Amino acid sequence: MLSIKNLHVSVDGKAIIQGLDLAVGTGEVHAIMGPNGSGKSTLSYVLAGRDGYQVTQGVIRFEGEDLLALETDARAHKGIFLAMQYPVELPGVNNMTFLRESLNAIRSAHDEPALDAVSFMQLARDKARQVGLDEKLLKRSVNTGFSGGEKKRNEILQMVLLEPKLAILDETDSGLDIDALRVIAAGVNAQRRLDRAILLITHYQRLLDYIEPDRVHVLVDGRIVCSGDKQLALELEKKGYQQVVQEAVA
Amino acid sequence: MITAEQQVRWFEQQLAQGGPSQPEPDWLEQVREDARRAASRLPALNRKQEAWRYTSIENLLKHSFQSANDSLDLTVEDISDGLLPAMNAYRLVFVNGRYRASLPSLESEPFPDGVTLGSLSAACIRDAGLLAAWFGKTANPVEHIFTALNTALIDDGLFIHVGPHVELERPVEVIYITTELENTCLVPTRNLILLESGAGATLVERFISQGPSMYFHNNLTEISVGEGASLSHYRVQDESRNAWHLSSLYLSQGSHSVYRGVTLAFGAAWSRTDYHAGLTQASAHCLLNGFYAVGDRQLTDFHLNVQHVAPACTSREKFKGLLHGKGRAVFDGHILVEKQAQYSDAHLANDNLMLVRDAEVDTKPQLEIYADNVKCSHGTTVGQLDPQQVFYLRSRGIDARAARRLLSQGFAAEIIETIDVVELREHITDKLTGILNTALDADGELRNGY
Repeated sequence: MLSIKNLHVSVDGKAIIQGLDLAVGTGEVHAIMGPNGSGKSTLSYVLAGRDGYQVTQGVIRFEGEDLLALETDARAHKGIFLAMQYPVELPGVNNMTFLRESLNAIRSAHDEPALDAVSFMQLARDKARQVGLDEKLLKRSVNTGFSGGEKKRNEILQMVLLEPKLAILDETDSGLDIDALRVIAAGVNAQRRLDRAILLITHYQRLLDYIEPDRVHVLVDGRIVCSGDKQLALELEKKGYQQVVQEAVA
Repeated sequence: MITAEQQVRWFEQQLAQGGPSQPEPDWLEQVREDARRAASRLPALNRKQEAWRYTSIENLLKHSFQSANDSLDLTVEDISDGLLPAMNAYRLVFVNGRYRASLPSLESEPFPDGVTLGSLSAACIRDAGLLAAWFGKTANPVEHIFTALNTALIDDGLFIHVGPHVELERPVEVIYITTELENTCLVPTRNLILLESGAGATLVERFISQGPSMYFHNNLTEISVGEGASLSHYRVQDESRNAWHLSSLYLSQGSHSVYRGVTLAFGAAWSRTDYHAGLTQASAHCLLNGFYAVGDRQLTDFHLNVQHVAPACTSREKFKGLLHGKGRAVFDGHILVEKQAQYSDAHLANDNLMLVRDAEVDTKPQLEIYADNVKCSHGTTVGQLDPQQVFYLRSRGIDARAARRLLSQGFAAEIIETIDVVELREHITDKLTGILNTALDADGELRNGY
């Protein structure tokens, strides 16, 4: 589904990702772990198409298509979704309106009819319940004044509404208490299907207790230095990045 | 640069175009006469005057304005586009500045006891005693050449009187429509709005036009909100894109009174709204909110002059502007807190969102405080859409244009949400969406956009 070959990315002239290779197959859940500053978030932004990230080398293919040639919104139409580490506040933009415009933009790209306000509201309420987001927050401005946990739930709500093929979760677990983590993990697990893939970006193994990955990759200095199954995550937790990476290289 | 002589010459020309339809009553004729005489002594409104520094009247004074024909046959169909039909309101219509007593199917039930709504012209005869007592008490007829002109030509306008402790349950909707004109015309309106103690009302005023007429709507409005009274006042300036519009508002508030003003500007080539609020009685609350959208060949100016004279009054001034094309806006907000006005609580803010580089705003919030126990703040911002916010929306499948529209609407929402009349709020929301769609479609917006 997703294939990244020899990716190099710079931000403000500084090389962040330096020769990254990754292949994620349909139906798979991959976890990318790594210390601070290793390029995890950069990878997620490059996949979503944020400005300011220069791809200096390499290819990203999504379902065979050249992803880098697509605009940000076109990538979303193709089924790429990024749950952000720091969801942006949109003062004055009603959450329900935002969610409906998003879903209808994606439906329209697939020649599907737009959902009317009433049926959308019903759907949004059902999904909000599923991810444990207080319905009142649907009527408020997007993320504005939301707590950290509420913002993360709102991200997951968007994910379950938009039903992406590839969901990238950038440190969705950070700042969450155990209960919130469980609810969010349940929301993510409900998304697991044979025709979808999930990329989990995380510091900690904790999230992987709830969302079991097929593959775990360790990202250091902009490259994947070792990969394995979920055992690798447990090992990292026990020994720390440095030791695991040293053993892997050795 | 305009000189005092030029200004007076123009003034005389306007008077020569024809005066009020009725010279009586005598006291009113005296008011007019005083204004005529004073005009020659007024200083020129040019950039040497701080209040007119960024707002040139040069082009305006190049035109000699004629009196507009106000006896046209107009049916309700002619103005139906301008109505908010779903709104359950008392409706008054002014055509080219003159009150139109009856347009079929506009007539609503009689007004409640203790309420007079209608033409100033008629009230001058009928309620002469009441009028003479209030008229001109808060306004400064010789603030400048245009208030003097308005006063010299006083003829018709809106008159509202709400008696003590009378509460109007439905809003009053007033439409000032300027018809398609063959000549460049002057449309003067003079309004007097009186709420006696404990009274309550909601007033919606909308300035609209048929077609792209050229005219100068010169409005002067006096408002008196009595002790403990409450007025919600919405004003929508949606004049022809070839028009000039000037509103000079003078507000006086009784103690414990509440004035909520929401003023919106979308139209006109040149428009200016001056608010003079005098908080001369203790514990009054004055809220002034505004929103303006300004594009190519438009200048929109707001001047606020809020004077805290009595103690313990609160005022809130929040104006937001959206600029596109080559639009120009001017904001000048001045809050004065006099020495005896202890416990004043005043906050003034002006925020501007520039959709393009070519637009311009000159903004100046000012606080002048002489009391030592007050809570006051002021601030202004000029900014662009946040690329992070645009990215967030686009990453959810929303295209760049729609993302910019949503964020611009979000910017305006803070003001538009303060409109409590649902039908008006919806009308304004649609209006803004239309403006944004046109603005964001324009080629230049994409080339020069931030």
